[in-house]
Amino acid sequence: MKALIEKLTNVFSPSGFEDAIREVIRKEIKGFADEIHVDALGNLIARKGASAGVRDGKRVMVAAHMDEIGLMVTHVDENGFARFSNVGAVFGRYAPSGRVRFANGAAGVINNELLSNFRETPPLDKMFIDVGATSQKDCPVKLGDVAAFERPFLDLGKRVVAKSLDDRSGVAVLIETLRRLGSGPNEVYFVFTAQEEVGARGAGPAAYGIDPDVAIAVDVTSTGDTPMGRKMEVALGRGPAIKVKDAGMLADPRVVSWMVKTAEKNKIPYQREVLIMGSTDARAIQVTRAGVAAGGVSIPARYVHSPSEMVDMDDVENSVRLLVALLKSRVSL
Amino acid sequence: MTDIVPFLKSLISVSGLSAYEGPVARLIEETWKPLADEVSVGRLGSLHGLKKGRAKNPRSSIMIATHMDAIGLIVTQVADGFIHLEAIGGIDPRILPGTPVIVHGKQDLPGVVVMPPMKTLPEDERDGAIGLPHLLADVGLLPSKVAGLVRVGDLVSFDTQPLDLAGETLSGHSLDNRASVAALTVCLQELRGKSHDWDVWTVATSQEEVTLGGAATSAFDLHPDLAVVVDVTFGKGPGANGWETFPLGKGPTLGWGANLHPFLYKKFNELADRLEIPVTLELVPLHSGTDAYSVQVAREGIPTMLLEIPMRYMHTPVEIIAIKDVQRVGRLLSEFISGLKSDFISTIVWEEEEKSKTQ
Repeated sequence: MKALIEKLTNVFSPSGFEDAIREVIRKEIKGFADEIHVDALGNLIARKGASAGVRDGKRVMVAAHMDEIGLMVTHVDENGFARFSNVGAVFGRYAPSGRVRFANGAAGVINNELLSNFRETPPLDKMFIDVGATSQKDCPVKLGDVAAFERPFLDLGKRVVAKSLDDRSGVAVLIETLRRLGSGPNEVYFVFTAQEEVGARGAGPAAYGIDPDVAIAVDVTSTGDTPMGRKMEVALGRGPAIKVKDAGMLADPRVVSWMVKTAEKNKIPYQREVLIMGSTDARAIQVTRAGVAAGGVSIPARYVHSPSEMVDMDDVENSVRLLVALLKSRVSL
Repeated sequence: MTDIVPFLKSLISVSGLSAYEGPVARLIEETWKPLADEVSVGRLGSLHGLKKGRAKNPRSSIMIATHMDAIGLIVTQVADGFIHLEAIGGIDPRILPGTPVIVHGKQDLPGVVVMPPMKTLPEDERDGAIGLPHLLADVGLLPSKVAGLVRVGDLVSFDTQPLDLAGETLSGHSLDNRASVAALTVCLQELRGKSHDWDVWTVATSQEEVTLGGAATSAFDLHPDLAVVVDVTFGKGPGANGWETFPLGKGPTLGWGANLHPFLYKKFNELADRLEIPVTLELVPLHSGTDAYSVQVAREGIPTMLLEIPMRYMHTPVEIIAIKDVQRVGRLLSEFISGLKSDFISTIVWEEEEKSKTQ
């Protein structure tokens, strides 16, 4: 799993430009799904199990978003400095001195205009990317090019650090779940969604197309386990977090109880999540068509939306175990 | 007409927070069953009542949506016997300290929202109202007991009791929007004595306070030709006298703006005039902040109207409404429904179409 996560987090695919990561995921799931297709939004959808009318099982959608936050070049000045806008929630405090990588392989570093107060966090429009160019002419990037943060994968043993663990750790969990699932009563759609970071734009249309009975979003959630951190009980290493609420939705209570019971029955550690900031694909899926019973299995993560996010490998493994147990079960909500 | 007050009081004596509407849904279902032909539950928990019209199939249908969910609190952390809270829906934390609540743990525990001692707060947060991150629920038990009974994600609901005030006004929690559920029930009661061509979907929607998701999904599911949303609006009160506030007891408001269909506004206004029911024009320049916002764009789009009951102290445990306004909304709805001709949809025109017809 560690190697898979490293491979996935090394791919640069900001929202709307998911080609590179889609290609990598497609190779990883080859041979494990009954049917694979890409929809109009760029969601990669892999079906496993009964088609042609689900008989006695349920149609279940499991979603993890494959896009990541990033930047788009908005202007290149005469000296070759690129100005940029954010794609998704890029926090100013994490950007300066960060390194970025473009789809065409070009790289650069972010810095900012000299500020009168050097203690203040500069807004993104006071920042620029220096790609090592000497003029507009020899600048290897142009308007509309997108980049993502570059930071080498760091193996700390039980825990790993990388950019885009939000939500490539979730993508890895889905891939591994698909590999281990085998046969079961349900028709399961593994959806690697596009454009989550720009407002959960991919998941809704994917759900509309699939029309599931039940849906689970697998994403990261913040924790309250750092010095003087946020008031939240979720901590790294205590198991996957079963979403009760986040800032965008309330998880379907029937799904919450299905997850809790399944975890307890299979002796899988879990935590209950009430997240104060942020939301996931489940928000968009829940209100699709006549409504979908939607919930979330969240991987606890520290420093979310920084280039150095951290997850615990035990939580990743237990997320896979919980998902496999859920998807193999007969769902009656 | 049956007195609606006991029913409304029962509605505001139970919880039923967003996504957990069960307790209030059961009360509504019980009351609607004898009044409607069918009552069913939508996929996100909205209650769908159907009262069939007498026109031949295929009949047109109208959906009247009133949300039944309530704002409240949810447990984020249990530490040393005290319960940390986060809001479900838009809570005004200024009024929370001193509020009686029920903590829905392994068993329902009565509790009260409290402030910690000032000296324990960060220095820059000791003045003024204390923010929600610092408020706590106290259920009176020892820490070890609390830890065993209350978990992260448990709900905390208001426990203020209904209070009859002078002048036929009522105070309590969750009158937003159970006052409208009561008004819709008045409508159903009145429809018993009236004939109507159209099918009527009475919908008590879920999750309005968080996502407008109950109404969006019910509108998709039921696919009505017309929709009327009933909710509450800002009553005039101390320091609230602007154009966006309306007097209690002087009738409901009729919404006007891009979120609503102008033709329906016109029809409701004419009808109110004819029935001598007082109504006020409510300007809704942007998002109405109600289910009308999501219903209007469901499926291929639904002509939608908004009626609102003026309310003071919205989103507090002591909301106040006038009973008269509830009854008026019920009557206006039932008269509108019984007046709907089977070809009403074809009469809905935009002003510019009307002009070109007369030219």
